[in-house]
Amino acid sequence: MNQTKQNPLKKLLSIRGMGGALTAFVGLIIIYIVFGIINPTVYSGQNIMNLLRSMSKYLLIGIGQSYVLITGNIDLSIGSMAGMSAMISATMMANGVHPVAAIAVSMASCLVIGVMNGIMVGKFKLPPFIATLGTMFVARGVAYMVNGNRNTEAISSGIGKEAADGFQNFFYYGKTFGVYNTFWIALVLFAVFFFLLSKTRTGRHIYAIGSNVEAAKLSGVNVVATTTKTYLVSAFCACVVGLILCGQANMGNMEAGNMYEMYGVAAGVIGGVSPLGGTGLLLGTLAGSAVWQTLENGLNMIGAQVGIQRLIIGIIVVCAVMLDVVVRSGMFKKKK
Amino acid sequence: MVKKMNETIVLLEHISKSFPGVKALDNVHFELRSGEVMALLGENGAGKSTLMKILSGVYTRDEGNMQIFGKECGNLTPKQAQEMGVAIIHQELNMCRHLSIAENIFLGREKRKGIVLSDQEMENEAKAVLDELKIDLDPRQVVGDLPVSKQQMVEIAKALSFKAKILIMDEPTSALTAKEIDDLFRIIKDLKAKGCGIVYISHRLEELQHIVDRVTIMRDGQYITDMNFKDATMDEIIAYMVGREIKEKFPHVECEKGKKVFEVKNLNAGRLVRDVNFSLYEGEIVGFAGLMGAGRTETTRAIFGIDPKDSGEIILDGKQVVIHKPEDAIQAGIVLAPEDRKKDGLCTKLSIRHNIALPNLDLICNKLGVIRNKKEEEMCQQAVENLKIKTPDVEVLAGNLSGGNQQKVVVGKWLARNSRVVIFDEPTRGIDVAAKVEIYHLMNDLKKRGIAVMFVSSEMPEVMGIADRIIVMCDGRITGELGAKGVTQNEILARATQFEKKIAAKG
Repeated sequence: MNQTKQNPLKKLLSIRGMGGALTAFVGLIIIYIVFGIINPTVYSGQNIMNLLRSMSKYLLIGIGQSYVLITGNIDLSIGSMAGMSAMISATMMANGVHPVAAIAVSMASCLVIGVMNGIMVGKFKLPPFIATLGTMFVARGVAYMVNGNRNTEAISSGIGKEAADGFQNFFYYGKTFGVYNTFWIALVLFAVFFFLLSKTRTGRHIYAIGSNVEAAKLSGVNVVATTTKTYLVSAFCACVVGLILCGQANMGNMEAGNMYEMYGVAAGVIGGVSPLGGTGLLLGTLAGSAVWQTLENGLNMIGAQVGIQRLIIGIIVVCAVMLDVVVRSGMFKKKK
Repeated sequence: MVKKMNETIVLLEHISKSFPGVKALDNVHFELRSGEVMALLGENGAGKSTLMKILSGVYTRDEGNMQIFGKECGNLTPKQAQEMGVAIIHQELNMCRHLSIAENIFLGREKRKGIVLSDQEMENEAKAVLDELKIDLDPRQVVGDLPVSKQQMVEIAKALSFKAKILIMDEPTSALTAKEIDDLFRIIKDLKAKGCGIVYISHRLEELQHIVDRVTIMRDGQYITDMNFKDATMDEIIAYMVGREIKEKFPHVECEKGKKVFEVKNLNAGRLVRDVNFSLYEGEIVGFAGLMGAGRTETTRAIFGIDPKDSGEIILDGKQVVIHKPEDAIQAGIVLAPEDRKKDGLCTKLSIRHNIALPNLDLICNKLGVIRNKKEEEMCQQAVENLKIKTPDVEVLAGNLSGGNQQKVVVGKWLARNSRVVIFDEPTRGIDVAAKVEIYHLMNDLKKRGIAVMFVSSEMPEVMGIADRIIVMCDGRITGELGAKGVTQNEILARATQFEKKIAAKG
């Protein structure tokens, strides 16, 4: 009726997927305040910096997974791809190859797997769960093989201390404007992928495929190409996460990135990305990964054990999805 | 551009198409001229949809020539067909529920500045198209929130936004109310005046007279004839479609009205079921008439225990029964053949056998819960024979049957057990004349066997023809009860639009 004078909250909520994202942000603030009250060091500047850095990995993997989830698919291979990227880059650098070349080869390998995922799911209509389960094992297998079933030596042993420090600072230990570079990397990529998803044709097609793939096809959307693009995004993000893990450890660990694909699902789903496709905002993924890290961080600070942490996160993921389902079915009933 | 009328814009000749095991089209001929509405008629499975899917690029033909605007066309993709001006409005609406109207209209050909989407521009253009069609909708609305009729309008708007000149509508009115159908017909007439050629597929023959210029009739994948609509009688058309004459469109049998079988007292369930009272007797079919959204489907769902009841009693053969979930209803002998076959009535990916066995597993299994194959086989064979389901065998997937046969499977699975009350919700929607008559015969059989039949339908002629008694609903309440004999459509309509005052004032 009076569209010009809508209240701003309502207007914000009218953006599709915003409800879930805002819920996650509210949850984030509550969690943060509660933990801070129990242990005020949670509020300290150093802790916030650590928090931002550690959530960056989950944010990146979550962005990749969210792209795929919005099309109604899933990518189980990204955790293994992160491990593969860490192992390939570390092995090369430990053998004296220039970091840029090492990064390029890791990226190329991940993108190859991304294309494979895209073609299997988009073109050959394999169930994404199965297709990416396969590539999950393939990528992990490659991660094991590149250095002969062993973790790598320190990367500084190959490219020298100076170059290794450069690599590590760029991805993990260095700061720019007082904030860890890891977070800046995540933030820049977040901005880029946020733009691609919300403002470009490809982004629109990603939502359309998740909503009704048949309708999208009949409207002339190239489903195979678009699906492949989402898997390329997830592969790209996985590769960056692998490089971060490599920088953090100064070496390649064969188990690096284990379970990250599921962390990505959790980050997205907590933030309101529908695992059934069609809706979700990367803002939600941002909130979701922050919720997760704040929880982990807070529980650590109050001395909770890993077991408890996992248990609580598990419950939160289920509750987030349940909230989504309840809200949806409620809307359904009203319409009938 | 000067709009030329009566010029051939689509010419299909000798079109053939086979699917594994079936020859769907055999040497079919089809012609469409500008500025006309061409009804494409035939029973389910006659090949109408297949033919139109070839024209719109969804399928490729095996043989034959296709000319669009005088231009010989090879195999088209949907996008190429679109660019040539062919648009199809599917029976099952093909929209992205999560996207807005404008986003759906421009899907696949979004407007951009550089690589950035120009949402504002697309919304303005969408608005312009909607205005042109006199459809009052905000292009930013999410399609999934719209009623089906409006979604269909959006599809039409989408077709027009890329200047479609050949518009194919597959059963466009099957989900619309009378008022919405009027709107649709107005739009069709406008389009016709602008020189568009419209292919109109429908099973509701009575509505053709309002808009159709010519008809093409198909049967079993073959072209039968085409003619001017004015020159043909309805009986002729039906005879061509079916290949034989149907003597009675609405076969009615007279039965002695027996004792009361079923009674609903003061049933309330949500906004659309308010204080509903009625009884069903042996030897009668009770029709439930009303507009779309009158609460008839909701009433059936509440009785059957799908939706929760707020209050009310259900009495079967003099005894009160408590129904909290469908299992309770089935155990009591009350069964429902739901409105949306594909969604609620059938497991389309299971075979006929499994579908029929599904609600009867309690009868089929032995005490340990192991399925007795022989018994299952017998039951299914019996159902297929009794209902004359057209299928090579019972292992065929239910989803592969034609609409009419699917409906028979839905009914068949309930008749395999001794039910006391059978509720049909829109049993003839989207199925052809011959199959409809078979469904009517089926209901008459039940009536003769003393089973109470509740028959919900939005098509007034069939309610008037088949039912013995008609209950009219409006906005969740029963607003009238009429004997079917000698009743007029106006009498029913008057009661179907009896809104309560406060509601009438609001809307």
